[in-house]
Amino acid sequence: MLNKKGGGKIIAMYWFVMLIIIAGGIFAMVYSFYHHPYDVRELEAEIMINHIADCLSNKGELNSELFNEEGFSQNFSENFLGNCHINLGVEEVWQKNFDVEEEAWGGEPQYYLQINFYNAINLENSVFEISKGNLNLVADWNIQEEKEYKRTAKGVEDGFFSFNGEDMYLIKILTIVKKTEKNVK
Amino acid sequence: MFKKRNKKAAILMENVIFIILNILFLAILILFLLKQGQGAVLLEQSYAKQIVLLIDSAKPGMIIILDMSKAKDLAEKNGLEFKDIVTKTDNIITVKLSEKGGYSYSFFNDVDVGNPYPDTSDPENVNSYVFVIWGYN
Repeated sequence: MLNKKGGGKIIAMYWFVMLIIIAGGIFAMVYSFYHHPYDVRELEAEIMINHIADCLSNKGELNSELFNEEGFSQNFSENFLGNCHINLGVEEVWQKNFDVEEEAWGGEPQYYLQINFYNAINLENSVFEISKGNLNLVADWNIQEEKEYKRTAKGVEDGFFSFNGEDMYLIKILTIVKKTEKNVK
Repeated sequence: MFKKRNKKAAILMENVIFIILNILFLAILILFLLKQGQGAVLLEQSYAKQIVLLIDSAKPGMIIILDMSKAKDLAEKNGLEFKDIVTKTDNIITVKLSEKGGYSYSFFNDVDVGNPYPDTSDPENVNSYVFVIWGYN
């Protein structure tokens, strides 16, 4: 009778140890899930690609401002951010609001974008290129070809065909977003 | 006979306590899970990023109406007015749901966004925020 009671108590103890282990596991999982920031960098990069595509081409026809009498307009390339209404300088404004001594953003731009135009009859060599932002992010992005690293920049590459009245072009757009401090823990 | 009844009562009591403790454990676990998903820090971040992504995808002339009822409940619980929880400075959106908190995120789309304001079209049910995209800067 005594043994039976003792056995019951030990089982009850094991039961509560199990409950504590399960509770601990659930707590750890929930804590790690909710205490990591939402990573929206890929979404941002995709939205930026759509934004650029809308700026470069309308209903399958390339923006006429892209060209001048000699071909692709260097002026459009130089003023690309203004022409396409893109603001890459946000982090500088952001940094003013942060403790400068902390250098949380390191003062470097958090975006990179690159657009390559290929003539449809020769898709090997780019005929015109536009690039803006922090070039160092390309290396950051390239590292992830074989394995994905959380703390490196996220990028998206996409392309589409468009016509300028005379020639057909393939336009490849690459956008990379860093912003690790706000998207990765 | 009396001894047998006592034994039965003890077994019943043990089982009742065991069931109560189990229910208590489950209740605490469920409350913990529910509370984790409704924290100010998490909601501030998710709303700020959601708003920024909406603005990034927007075109001039658009009016974005975003349901922020969860944010409203939490802000009012923390003593903040609904009209003060979303602010815009240049191209940075800040969502603030507690006195000490606040989360900011920036948008790249160079559009002129009017100051965000609560949607009062239905005065009895003000749960949404309005973002008007006027034009390109």
